[in-house]
Amino acid sequence: MKAKNQRLVLALLALVALVGAVLLGMSALKDQASYFYSPSDAVRDHVELGRTVRLGGMVEKGSLRREPDGVTIDFRVTDGAATVTARYTGIVPDLFREGSGVVAEGRFTAPGRFAADTILAKHDENYKPPELAGNGMHETGSLKR
Amino acid sequence: MSQWPFVIAAYVLAGVATLALALASFVQMRKAERAAEALKRR
Amino acid sequence: MHIFANPVRFLQLARPLTGWCGWIGAVLVVAGLGAGLFLTPPDYLQGETVRIMYLHVPSAWLGMAGWGGIAVASIMELVWRHPLAGIAARAVALPGAVFTGICLATGSIWGRPTWGTWWEWDGRLTSMLVLLFVYIAYIALAEAEADRGGQGRIAAIFGIVGVVNLPIIHFSVLWWRTLHQGESIGITGSSIAGSILWPLPVALVGFTLLFVSIVLMRMRAMLARQKVEARLRRMGTEP
Repeated sequence: MKAKNQRLVLALLALVALVGAVLLGMSALKDQASYFYSPSDAVRDHVELGRTVRLGGMVEKGSLRREPDGVTIDFRVTDGAATVTARYTGIVPDLFREGSGVVAEGRFTAPGRFAADTILAKHDENYKPPELAGNGMHETGSLKR
Repeated sequence: MSQWPFVIAAYVLAGVATLALALASFVQMRKAERAAEALKRR
Repeated sequence: MHIFANPVRFLQLARPLTGWCGWIGAVLVVAGLGAGLFLTPPDYLQGETVRIMYLHVPSAWLGMAGWGGIAVASIMELVWRHPLAGIAARAVALPGAVFTGICLATGSIWGRPTWGTWWEWDGRLTSMLVLLFVYIAYIALAEAEADRGGQGRIAAIFGIVGVVNLPIIHFSVLWWRTLHQGESIGITGSSIAGSILWPLPVALVGFTLLFVSIVLMRMRAMLARQKVEARLRRMGTEP
């Protein structure tokens, strides 16, 4: 084998090994590298109460309720399989709405009850003009798993 | 929240950065090629 | 491939290409961004902020494609010892870093009105920030090596190793739960409505041509500087 062919094979082998190792590592880290817990994870893993975690899912349709004080809201976060009731006091992002994605940071106060300190809206990969969006209902499909 | 200020900020920032990069690269190329040309003629 | 290894042949090709790519790219960028600002409808959910996409997606593509280019050029440099490949890799580094920075900045500006945050340490955002740092490290390494009269081999190895970050960026939104949404544009199609999507490929091609032109300009500058240095050295040794 000529020297340059040898170098080519060596370089490509190294490249394949590197990328392969990273892909393996990434899929192994799937749970640790997740940015938030889904309601199902939280139920399955028995997330301890009081620990600061992020909870992500869809704001269940028809679940959003405003308390009499005007700034506190209650809503349910669901991933289709499990549901958690969340409470938050403060201003929410414009994109926070029923049927849309949400990532809340806070802690579980009781099993199935979550107190949020911050609320982030998570939108999905579907972009369309208003006239194509129908009655304005929004589904963050990618959060259901 | 008003949205246009965010859009405008993003466009101005990206435009200035791209333009600065292109201009700097052009000026550097001009200078280097002129210097090479001048040296060849000597 | 070996045709381009000859600097004289390369320059014959690069000189006209610099202008053509630059001007056509600039026209397409202005057209694509103009259409994206004034002609397309707003998104039903995000509103006007969706227009940041026409900057954010091309700059993300160039940041990642730039490192892909560095890796390919680095392999060519190590395997065939083409000096021109090393120059190409070093010429890509700064534009790649700048566009990665534009991607991060426009993404941050996009995140505030949509997600409600300038920055979050999720998988996609973090891996893209790592790409920027890897670019900066590569630039510093290549400069240091060139200053000491090295052959660029260490920078080339770094260029190949750094490519592992590209699949991390790509798969981060698919395999990990992230705040960043999943892929809108895949092999099978796009989940962006046509009336919003159409200026994106225009801007994408335009920015790419502009990028090629900038890389060619930087390569020509480096080749000219090398020529000057070589001539000065010769004049120094034979007075």
